[in-house]
Parts: sequence; C-alpha cells; structure tokens
Amino acid sequence: MSMEDYDFLFKIVLIGNAGVGKTCLKESLHNEIPLFFQGLFPPGQGATIGVDFMIKTVEINGEKVKLQIWDTAGQERFRSITQSYYRSANALILTYDITCEESFRCLPEWLREIEQYASNKVITVLVGNKIDLADKREVSQQRAAEFSEAQDMYYLETSAKESDNVEKLFLDLACRLISEARQNTLVNNVSSPLPGEGKSISYLTCCNFN
Amino acid sequence: LEEVPLEVLRQRESKWLDMLNNWDKWMAKKHKKIRLRCQKGIPPSLRGRAWQYLSGSKVKLEQNMGKFDELDLLPGEPKWLDVIERDLHRQFPFHEMFVSRGGHGQQDLFRVLKAYTLYRPEEGYCQAQAPIAAVLLMHMPAEQAFWCLVQICEKYLPGYYSEKLEAIQLDGQILFSLLHKVSPVAYKHLSKQKIDPILYMTEWFMCAFSRTLPWSSVLRVWDMFFCEGVKIIFRVGLVLLKHTLGSSDKLKSCQGQYETMERLRALSPKIMQEAFLVQEV
Repeated sequence: MSMEDYDFLFKIVLIGNAGVGKTCLKESLHNEIPLFFQGLFPPGQGATIGVDFMIKTVEINGEKVKLQIWDTAGQERFRSITQSYYRSANALILTYDITCEESFRCLPEWLREIEQYASNKVITVLVGNKIDLADKREVSQQRAAEFSEAQDMYYLETSAKESDNVEKLFLDLACRLISEARQNTLVNNVSSPLPGEGKSISYLTCCNFN
Repeated sequence: LEEVPLEVLRQRESKWLDMLNNWDKWMAKKHKKIRLRCQKGIPPSLRGRAWQYLSGSKVKLEQNMGKFDELDLLPGEPKWLDVIERDLHRQFPFHEMFVSRGGHGQQDLFRVLKAYTLYRPEEGYCQAQAPIAAVLLMHMPAEQAFWCLVQICEKYLPGYYSEKLEAIQLDGQILFSLLHKVSPVAYKHLSKQKIDPILYMTEWFMCAFSRTLPWSSVLRVWDMFFCEGVKIIFRVGLVLLKHTLGSSDKLKSCQGQYETMERLRALSPKIMQEAFLVQEV
C-alpha cells in the first residue's frame, strides 16, 4: 500500500474507562458485518493491554480519507503509557458506557487528562456506547447531551455490538476534521507541527489540504 | 501441533515424577538438567505441579497455610472488584473453562484476582494479570494459582503490574537495546520508523505471550519461563522481531510505520510455531 494513497490522514484516539467498548467500536468499524452477526459477540474481546491501532480508509465526497485509529487501555495505570499517544491526535473519541454510571462520572477526569496531554486544537467527541443494552441504561441521553453541550463536544450514542451509529460516528468526525484542516490551511498556509510535539509521527502533519 | 510419541511421553513423565519427588536434591545438584527438561517441554499431565515447584509457589503456599482462604472470605475493594468483574468474561472466552458467564472458571478467576488485591492492596489489580491468572487456573486449583500469580508478580516480573508501569517501560528500552545486537537491521528499521517498543511489547511481556502465541507455544514458553525467568520473555521477543523485520527482504513489504506495526501485530504463524520458536530461543 502506498503511503501517498490518500488525500487526508487523521489520527483518532479512543479513550475512556476500562470495559466501555473502545476496542469493539474500532472492530465494529473495521468489520462490514456487525460483530453480533458474526458470532463474535459475546464472548468478550480481551482487554487492551497498552496501545493498539488500525487504519480505515473512507471516501468523503470523492476524497480518500485515511483514519488512523488508536485504541488505548482504559485502566488508569496504563495512562503513563497511553498519554503520549494522544498528544499528537487530531481527534479524541471519549467513550463511556450508558449502562455504567461510573464510566460517565469519570468523564471530567478524562477531560482534565485531555487538557493536560492533548493538543489544544484536538476535536473531542463524546460517545455513549452499548445502546443495545437499553434496559440496563444508567445514564440518560439528556444528561449526556447537557454535559457535552457544556463542554462544547459533539455527542453521539452507539452500539458497537449492532454497528449502530458507528460508521456515522467516524464519517461525521472525518468530515469535521477535513473542514478544520481546510480552515487551517487557509489561515496558516503552512502546516506546522503541533506545539509541544514530543514523539514525531512522520505523517502527522500530512493532514493538510492537498 | 507436535505430537510427542507415546513412549517418549511416558519416559518423560517418569523422569519428571522422579524429579518432583526429589525436588530439593535436583534443584541443588542438577539444575542444568532441570533446565534442559523444561526446554524439551513438561509433560501436560505434570505441568501444573511442575510450574508450582519451579516458581516456588508450592513452598510459598506451605508457608502461608490458610492465607488464601482468609483473603477469599474478605469482600475486597469496590474499585478493584468493578474492573475485575468487567474482565472475567473476556479471558480465553473459547476455552471450555471460561466459556460460561459465572461458571467455575470465571468464579475462580475472580477469587484469585480479588485475593491478590487484598494481598497487595498498594498494587491492586492490573488488567494484564487476568490472562496470566487464567492460564494458571487451566493448570491448577484457585489457591495454587493464587500463589503462583504472587510469584510471577513479585519474583518473575516485579513491578510489571504496579501503579506507574515503570518496569515494563524500562524493559521495553532494554529489549530495544538488545535488539541492536541481535538484529541491527530490525533495530535500524524500528528506529527509523520511530516505533516505540511500548507499542509492540507491552502485551507480549505483560501477558507473557499468552495472548500472542499459538497455545502449544505458550505452554512451551511458560515451561522455560518458570525455569529460567524473564530472560525467556526477552529471548522470545527478540526471536519474533528478528524473524519479522530482520532482513532487507522482509522489510520490503513494510516500508511505513503503519505497515511495520501491522506486521508486528499479525506475526507469521511460521515463526510462532512451537518447534521453530523453542529452537530459536
């Protein structure tokens, strides 16, 4: 696969508490057929240990957009490892589990992490996962919507299991990243590396308008 | 899967029985021989017992009679229980022992992991401990598995699972500098692509390859690991890296960062195969 085979490349990092379904969101996008129908659901996906990633290429208005999706371990003690990976992210998908109050209550803590470690230009999307378990819901849509509004985040509910809203999530995000990238090129005319960039990921700055 | 001929298996079993019955003598005088026999593979029927002898968990249990039962009766801290419970159904979900929710395997896994958080409250639970404990439970009862887990966390891989994960990050750096010697080509490629060791070795090392290698290879690696310690984990890692990225020919199809990481994530079955891997290690 040629490295130049795309018009845009964006790095998206999935974050959120352990067991909210980050890896399944990623897998769900990867598989055309819902995980559920493939018999892959349940049993469960092993917890992510460290950092994992995948590439998904989507087409938006005839342009090839390469999404580099990074999946991180949710448990707190892995943050010393995962933090350095969201520093260079173009977008973060902050995920919680709608059937788990605790995963929602931890969101402010995650926002502090983002503030401290991510670029100040990062786009953050709030995702409430597991809507297939509606009868076990602990976090209402209204609460989440209010929270995301207050934090100025785009908000969406998904079911990785049934592939509900998953594609929409990534496509919407890709659209927003494209328009953001276009604006930046118009304003700056040059793509400069992100401030405070420690680990340089070679094609991080390739997401400019071609 | 390699079939050990029946006659050879019987011979190995009786040799191992003799060793286990005279363990202290063997450990004191014929350690080299034990090592050799671990490299050849411990007979499946005696594997669980042998791991307990090799790790010293058998002695540890004898010194702490009743301790596990005591911990088992305590409720445990909710913050750990919550994460543990979320992990119970996702360890080897296709293994008959762990297939049913709330079944014996998952119950024992919960008991072992909970007991550890009570045994070392300052460390608590790390998600990478679950696959380790699950592999142990496939070979021994909960109390024995608990002490074996204690030995792994404290003697074999100290610091791997504790709060800041510093030990694993340090070992990532050590692995990388060893790679420089073992396979300069692979080293140069990974440096050029700026792929941090943490990206590919965290799961390998923290789960002692239990989620990476085919099952028969996992068992052979663990046989050697229990005998020789963490250096086996390093050697396996180096073999995998060398045979994946160690020649210009191999690098042709993974020029970029993404292609390289993809290659490391989907390792060639050939190099993970039991006979090849053990011989290379």
